[in-house]
Amino acid sequence: MAKTIAALIGVSALALSGCDRVADIGRKTETQVIETKFPERVYWGDTHLHTSNSVDAFGFGVRLGSEEALRFARGEEVTATTGMKAKLSQPLDFLVIADHSDGLGVTKAIYDAPRLFIRDPLLRRWHDMMHEGPEGSQRVTAELIDMVGRNALPPALVNPEQQKKTTRTIWTAHTDVVERYNEPGKFTAFMGFEYTLMPGGDNLHRVVMFRDGKKEADKVLPYSSLTGTSAAMLWDYMDNYEKVTGGKALAIPHNSNVSNGLMFELTGPDGAPMTADYARRRAVREPVVEVTQIKGDSESHPFLSPNDEFAGYGDAGWELGNLTMQANKTTAMFAGEYVREALKRGLAIEARTGVNPYKFGMIGATDSHTALATGDENNFFGKHSGVEPNARRATQPQNLGSNQGRFGWHYLAGGYAGVWAKANTRAAIFDAMMRREVYATTGPRIQVRFFGGWDFTADDLKTNMVKAGYTRGVPMGADLKPGTGKAPSFIVSALKDPMGGNLDRAQVVKGWVDAGGKLHEKIFDVIWSEPARRILTGGKLTPVGDTVNLANATYTNSIGAAELATVWIDPEFDARVKAFYYVRVMEIPTPSWPAYDAVRFKVKMPPSVTMKAQERAYTSPIWYVPKSK
Amino acid sequence: MARWLREPLVHFLITGAAIFAIYAWRGDMVDASDRRIVVGEAQVQRLANIWSQTWQRAPSADELDGLIRDYIKEEVYYREAIRLGLDQDDAIVRKRLRAKMEFLATSEAETMVASDIVLQAWLDKNPALYNANPLISFQSVYVSTTRGEVLALVKANALLARLQDGADAEKLGDSLSLPRSVTAATTEAVDRQFGEAFATKLMGLPKGVWSGPVASGFGLHLVRVDTVSAVSTPKLADVRQRVENDWRSATRIARENQAYQTLLDGYDIKIKRP
Repeated sequence: MAKTIAALIGVSALALSGCDRVADIGRKTETQVIETKFPERVYWGDTHLHTSNSVDAFGFGVRLGSEEALRFARGEEVTATTGMKAKLSQPLDFLVIADHSDGLGVTKAIYDAPRLFIRDPLLRRWHDMMHEGPEGSQRVTAELIDMVGRNALPPALVNPEQQKKTTRTIWTAHTDVVERYNEPGKFTAFMGFEYTLMPGGDNLHRVVMFRDGKKEADKVLPYSSLTGTSAAMLWDYMDNYEKVTGGKALAIPHNSNVSNGLMFELTGPDGAPMTADYARRRAVREPVVEVTQIKGDSESHPFLSPNDEFAGYGDAGWELGNLTMQANKTTAMFAGEYVREALKRGLAIEARTGVNPYKFGMIGATDSHTALATGDENNFFGKHSGVEPNARRATQPQNLGSNQGRFGWHYLAGGYAGVWAKANTRAAIFDAMMRREVYATTGPRIQVRFFGGWDFTADDLKTNMVKAGYTRGVPMGADLKPGTGKAPSFIVSALKDPMGGNLDRAQVVKGWVDAGGKLHEKIFDVIWSEPARRILTGGKLTPVGDTVNLANATYTNSIGAAELATVWIDPEFDARVKAFYYVRVMEIPTPSWPAYDAVRFKVKMPPSVTMKAQERAYTSPIWYVPKSK
Repeated sequence: MARWLREPLVHFLITGAAIFAIYAWRGDMVDASDRRIVVGEAQVQRLANIWSQTWQRAPSADELDGLIRDYIKEEVYYREAIRLGLDQDDAIVRKRLRAKMEFLATSEAETMVASDIVLQAWLDKNPALYNANPLISFQSVYVSTTRGEVLALVKANALLARLQDGADAEKLGDSLSLPRSVTAATTEAVDRQFGEAFATKLMGLPKGVWSGPVASGFGLHLVRVDTVSAVSTPKLADVRQRVENDWRSATRIARENQAYQTLLDGYDIKIKRP
């Protein structure tokens, strides 16, 4: 089938022989964009978007490709697969299109291929089902994902030589579009893909993003999890990419919440305690983790954090089993799945080996399979094109390869990454990710600053906070500079999304490992709205309240605050103990996407459906490393 | 290049003819009314190749016989189906054929080369897409609405009177980490920082005097707009890539529409609505 496609493409090239592409002119190059002295501005983006080149996305029905995805992300109106017009209320600043490398473009090829040429009976059946319409198409995709999980794909799909040719054609066409839409200083389009490692349905997926352009990206092909069967093999691939091209690559693990405990293990791949070498490789290759996205939120779980009243956000449904539900989950697996615990485990491994494998920053992303990077509750376009807005999607079972327990409403509206970079260029944004100066939100564009130092005072908030933060301290993602034994002070500042809900509170989440190797965490409410009305007693703060009106899916900003800022000093600091600190900012309650659906389609949701929630932001941690004796 | 060579319809026909030729050469183009089936060497080789690609080995003699028998069966059914007109009413067949036609009409737009003249014409026709946003400079004093809209409005009006009397703006209002003084920012950047349509609201205000309050995503603002720069259309050289992207994308759609229109013009269409 690939052959036929190649033949057709050959024809159109024939008709044009003699034409050369014009050189790349008419826009600033990366080096012409001026970088600010400090990161002055947060750049918003999505590092995880699927288009019609993803096997499952196409199967689920999406017909929009890279170009439409980029146009939508930079703020233009596009027509979604199901015919609706869609436009972001605020453009994004950058985008990584991360199509699955496994079978890149394969469903599209099966769909497009003349039926006559499809010999494999399974592929032929899939071809027919896809042409029957959206439901047939979705059944094909469910079967396909299930077969990947069971390693039972038909030989025609895993034939490496055949697949390589198809992939080469699709990849270069894709990198061509990405390159054309990259506008340094204005909108950054990254090269990347998703490595969909999934032994037995345990999700070990990573998004890979490149710092470089088409010239470098075309020297490799997206690495397939049918070729590489471990995270370490992906890192080998990345090492090789850097060697061959002189470029840079990073990997972003995601959906640890459906890894059945495998994403953040204490052990190495051989089952023995993790070695320093392995820990070092992981830390270098995976500086950032996607903590929140459509398939749930992986920050915390009530089982691990019983004292955290906000821990259960986006856990429902995902806590039942792995991605494909081929294996159920036990509570013992949670510790290897949730990011806060992983940060703590990192300290424990560091205490033993001297290297922290889980020294990562946090970002949010969409993982949307609609080619539309939507992250807000009131514009949720669905996990995939089969569930673009319609009356039944919130209560429909939405499973991958199984009939167990996941329904439409378990899916979140998706998050975004906030990046504190010095310019909107590939280099500046990529480098900010490498130094973890990034944070996650569940959708709202809350602006969060977090600096750690030793002498911050409330006066620093009044004058030039940013300059003080950078010159006398370190930003999110960094290690505190060496101290003198007294407690560190932190600047915590959060500004609401100008189009979103007010802020409830800002919290500092502290994690540490004691001398006996035991892991601890504690959450401090450090600043909150309406302090006259809201009192902190026994570690609990008066709730902010709730203005959500479900009858018409609205809320008012009559509670909460537009901005929260404070300087916080750790009251329990012990200079001998390794620790990390990150900030969680909570919005006031707002309607969730099923609440908007209920109003839009006039349907009544069952009581089990989450209709409102407190959206939030998670910053990357600042680490405290005691001076070695 | 001769003008007729640049006509989309001509491209369409040439591409179509080329594909027709290739199919004919490969033996796929058969008159459905022909009662003779010849399975040539090339066809047998092709069947064997497809098998090898799937199974990573050549077919055995038996398997090859099976493939040929299956091919003949398919061919017989295909021709009989065409004769019976079964393709006429089949949604899948119709969709496939439509997709092939659309592909023919648009495939070459991806690799077309755009001359400066073409792109300049595009830019001249759609200046609004590329105009640099006006740059706006203003001072603002923030009034929080946390204690209610009414109280905030009262406070804002009192502050406005003081500002108009010449009070120092730096010392008035509630604190907010947005800049009190914004210099030569694009309307886009202002909207992004202050919330939807804030810049548009500023555009209508008188210059050089304190006015307001104007609502943002954070509360109320008293504002003194100092300057608003004129809208300017950029030179092609500065926005070439963007223009080319848009032109290419629009051309692809236009080609398809045009090819379709040309065909459509040959039809007489009547619609009766129930």
